[in-house]
Amino acid sequence: MELFNSESKKIISDPINVNNPISLQVLGICSALAVTIRLDQAIIMTLAVVFVLCSSNVILSLIRNYIPTRVRIVIMLSVIASLVSVVDELLKAYLYDMSKQLSVFVGLIITNCIIMGRAEAFALKHGPSKAFLDGLGNSMGYGLIIIVVSFFRELFGAGTITLPDGGAGYVLWRIPDSWYAAGYENIGLLVLSPGAFIILGLVIWIQREFAGVEEDA
Amino acid sequence: MYSNNYTLFFVFVVTVVLGTMLSFTKDSVKDLQDQNLKADVQKTILRSLNFDEGLLVSNESIEQTFKNYIDAKCVNIDGEIVNCNIEEVDIEKNEEVLPIYIRMNDDKVQGIALPVAGKGLWSTIFGYIALNPDTDSVLGIQFYKHGETPGLGGEVEKQWFTDNFVNHPVKQQSGEIQYIPKRIRDNSGKIVSIKVVKGGVDYSESNNASIHQVDGISGATVTADGVTDFLLEDLLRYEKTLDKIRDYGTI
Repeated sequence: MELFNSESKKIISDPINVNNPISLQVLGICSALAVTIRLDQAIIMTLAVVFVLCSSNVILSLIRNYIPTRVRIVIMLSVIASLVSVVDELLKAYLYDMSKQLSVFVGLIITNCIIMGRAEAFALKHGPSKAFLDGLGNSMGYGLIIIVVSFFRELFGAGTITLPDGGAGYVLWRIPDSWYAAGYENIGLLVLSPGAFIILGLVIWIQREFAGVEEDA
Repeated sequence: MYSNNYTLFFVFVVTVVLGTMLSFTKDSVKDLQDQNLKADVQKTILRSLNFDEGLLVSNESIEQTFKNYIDAKCVNIDGEIVNCNIEEVDIEKNEEVLPIYIRMNDDKVQGIALPVAGKGLWSTIFGYIALNPDTDSVLGIQFYKHGETPGLGGEVEKQWFTDNFVNHPVKQQSGEIQYIPKRIRDNSGKIVSIKVVKGGVDYSESNNASIHQVDGISGATVTADGVTDFLLEDLLRYEKTLDKIRDYGTI
């Protein structure tokens, strides 16, 4: 099978756009609200989810014909939980400050509906290469939204743009003091959870408009 | 339909494979994690003692700063120095050996950091409170380990909360507001510690105790009460040591 025929492209592009797990299916909202205070947190979280979702999809797809149906949920959960624990341990070893900031939300990837949902709905029914593309597409779809949300939350909430580095984050740009002197103020609400809801709502609106999706009345 | 034996066998194999993978991962990164943890504790101590953030950027610089400026020793409840392996003292349980970290500069005490720990709502909260050489006014406070709810009790580690301990507003005669540190001793010199007040500190003139109070956290009353309790309890264990430093400038 050719990796990038039109069907494969659709598997990977659909979840980024017209079937986005966050903005269309409204899954994975808990972590999307929690880790979008700063851009660097969202980027690291995206990488963690990409790793977990791609690996869990591939692993489960490889063993899909051997999993007894009665215990498939337990098996899926064990594989996902193990992968998440590996990510958590690696973060603690190599990106300690980031792992402190993300705190429980790395562990909570286990309960992210997107991961279980893709395992059940896709990986158990398709081959490993398709499952990989599906994992990549869905995790990128998730990542795209949380990166956009965190960009606006950090920029307008805290007045900075922070990229991940080995330590506490590299501040790429911050709003110059002269703006504050001229009367500009950060919107404190955006740093809080309600701010995340508002931005996420706006993103969902724009994304659906862009993707041409209409809800049944 | 799979047989029961097959199902059991399959689950067993999956468990063994995943378990091996996990223990292998943990084993290969354990040393790095321990180093990070140690550096994090040292960073907390240095931060509470108000060291410049520029000195705390990497694990190496933290270790170096710690070695150069901090005199770490143990005391007992009577304020006498005792021998100990300071990294292995269990701050939460051990009551006979009390670690103390003194910031020295030219043989003079610049600040004293003491470990504090106690129950919040879900977990034990660990931190350090640092005092000025007068052993009364707070130099800084930092929490580094806890399992409180992020956004509620978890706010104890945030700067807005820890800043409360060093920003007591005093209205000058000119009308300007000046900030001084909170104090752990009352006017007679007795240790009264610092109380985390639900709702917020009453700064009106009738409240004489406001210098010993800091604002609480909305939605985290149990965590705040925990902090109040263990701060008092832990500071009292160091009472004799602190008296000594105040009176003689050394232990």
